[in-house]
Amino acid sequence: MENLKEDLKKQIIEQLNLEDITPADIADDALLFDDGGLGLDSIDALELIVLLEKFHGIQVVNPEEGKVAFRSVDTMADYILKRKS
Amino acid sequence: MSFITTYCHISADQCSVNGKAVSARDRAASESWFKQIYKEQELVYPKFYKMDSLSQAGFLASELIKRENKGLTGRYKDDEIAMLFANQSSSADTDLRFINSYEHNGAPSPSLFVYTLPNIVLGEIAIVNKWYGENMFAVLPKFAPGFFADYGQILLSTGAKAVLCGWLGVLGDNIEVFVWLVESETNGSLNFNQENVLKLSGFNPA
Amino acid sequence: MGVRITGIGIVSAIGLTVAENLQSLRESKSGIGPVQILEEAEGLLVGEVKMSNGALQNELQTGLKAISRTSLLGLKAAKEAWGESKHIENIRTGIISATSVGGMDRTEDFYKAYLAGTNPDYQILKTHDSGNTTERIAAGLGISGYINTLSTACSSGANAIMLGARLLLSGKLDRVLVGGSDALTKFTINGFRSLMIYDEQWCRPFDETRSGLNLGEGAAFLLLENERSIGLSGNRTIGYVNGWANAADAYHQTASSPEGKGATLAITNALRKSGIQLEDISYINAHGTGTKNNDLSESVALKNVFGENIPPFSSTKPFTGHTLAAAGAIEAVFSILAIQNKLIFPNLNFQTPIAETGLEPAIAMQTQKSVNAVLSNSFGFGGNNSSLVFSKHG
Repeated sequence: MENLKEDLKKQIIEQLNLEDITPADIADDALLFDDGGLGLDSIDALELIVLLEKFHGIQVVNPEEGKVAFRSVDTMADYILKRKS
Repeated sequence: MSFITTYCHISADQCSVNGKAVSARDRAASESWFKQIYKEQELVYPKFYKMDSLSQAGFLASELIKRENKGLTGRYKDDEIAMLFANQSSSADTDLRFINSYEHNGAPSPSLFVYTLPNIVLGEIAIVNKWYGENMFAVLPKFAPGFFADYGQILLSTGAKAVLCGWLGVLGDNIEVFVWLVESETNGSLNFNQENVLKLSGFNPA
Repeated sequence: MGVRITGIGIVSAIGLTVAENLQSLRESKSGIGPVQILEEAEGLLVGEVKMSNGALQNELQTGLKAISRTSLLGLKAAKEAWGESKHIENIRTGIISATSVGGMDRTEDFYKAYLAGTNPDYQILKTHDSGNTTERIAAGLGISGYINTLSTACSSGANAIMLGARLLLSGKLDRVLVGGSDALTKFTINGFRSLMIYDEQWCRPFDETRSGLNLGEGAAFLLLENERSIGLSGNRTIGYVNGWANAADAYHQTASSPEGKGATLAITNALRKSGIQLEDISYINAHGTGTKNNDLSESVALKNVFGENIPPFSSTKPFTGHTLAAAGAIEAVFSILAIQNKLIFPNLNFQTPIAETGLEPAIAMQTQKSVNAVLSNSFGFGGNNSSLVFSKHG
């Protein structure tokens, strides 16, 4: 699980072009779409959907599902494990 | 009467404001030229990294102009500054990267697709400054000072008090960026007309 | 001071000429269906123009040189708008076209060579760009004076009309063809798919259950002339463009602000420019793409401007699809047809109003009342918002 979260952080940084940010800067429970978190926006949310397909083979068909699943690295990891089982 | 009060040039190796060099490219660095300028000039806007090169160029030039012209943002209302930009290659640079994303990288990238429209750079500048004025982007066969003079005059006589004009030639390593501010409520020494735009641009009169 | 419109031309999913488009509108016949001509995205619902590139090239006699579908569609519509006009010595003539796709269909082919690593010729990219598309249209009509191309996403067509009107009023030109063209391409289809704003079904603008847009393709042009030009051409005036405005939304690269700020400014300023009172607007042709975001934002803007007294309004995109840069021009032609024929077009597929705003568009074709003045909205990515006002009178 810890590896998955660490990988997710690296993938998020790569996929979303988040320069000057390292995995250590992203807390597991930080709210990604809050200004206090990573300040992501709706286009970033779409890139996260691409990320899930590209790195984890998971297709998110409904963008609304993404809103809930992508709240934080914690929820993303949970979502991935749930979809894979 | 309107005047060209502030301007910025970016070429493949140099960045200058009002004719004075402010950044020179380090070709040995791994970072892109535009990122170098961003860091060297100590600009702070993390969304910069998500922009494509056309938007980065426009953003950098407009920020440097604002910095040089400190009273600018206070001098006009938020819908009195219009924007008029043009180039020859539209968003071709990003278009290719977008095609690559679905032909080769597995899935079309939404963040790249967003930038496959040349006017998004105007959106970016409007967003950071909260400017609600008119904004237009034209695609022209070559740099046309006459177009800017004509359209700029129309804008200034229909509600705009200032116009940020720009030619954003950005295609691969061919960089010919010239952005200039025209104001009608400040005196300047350079009248806004076709001849002065051409002269200041430094581009060859074709 | 309005600018005279003396010609209109259009090619869209619902017809290859003005007459065919009008007929389809009268019959509530939409042109949206599964992809047929484009080799891509099987099953996707789109508004394709029902004419192949080969057939277009034959009809327009464009010769052997490769030409993009965007140019072909544009030339067909521009020719119809130009009609029997002649080139006259001191009549300064221009063309302003708008496109977002440009020659992308050729570039998609170029890219295959690029990938093969065989020294790609960047010169080809010059024909990719939007400027060349306009030049091919201009060449097809023998126009060599003022040639310009605007590219501001989905508001481009409206912006071309706005610039043309201004050039006539400022005395820079006597006559100008204004409009836009965009063809469906793999590029565009993939792009909008990545934004997840398609509706898998037929789009339903302003409906509570709306879930996205259907893409379309097409082209349309208006011929604008000043008095001097008309004196020599003898063309009849078929309507006027009286008001126009453009404003930035300054909110997001692709989403519209929830308070519809840019849209509100564009509508307000266009109406002010036209001098036409709010209560004298007979019909509004909305941008109405069918996305959750646009339709809500546009509804808020309409309420901001008109309060409780919003004129009959509808989106015609369930007929044609969202034709991107051509939309502002196609919908301008529809606005003129509404005025000429006393028609208020239905907003197809509407059933339930949007909960937050409660607005109801026109759902049945109306043919009884005079349509004197029409407001047409076109809102583009990048927060580029434009509105135009057309009417019977200068």
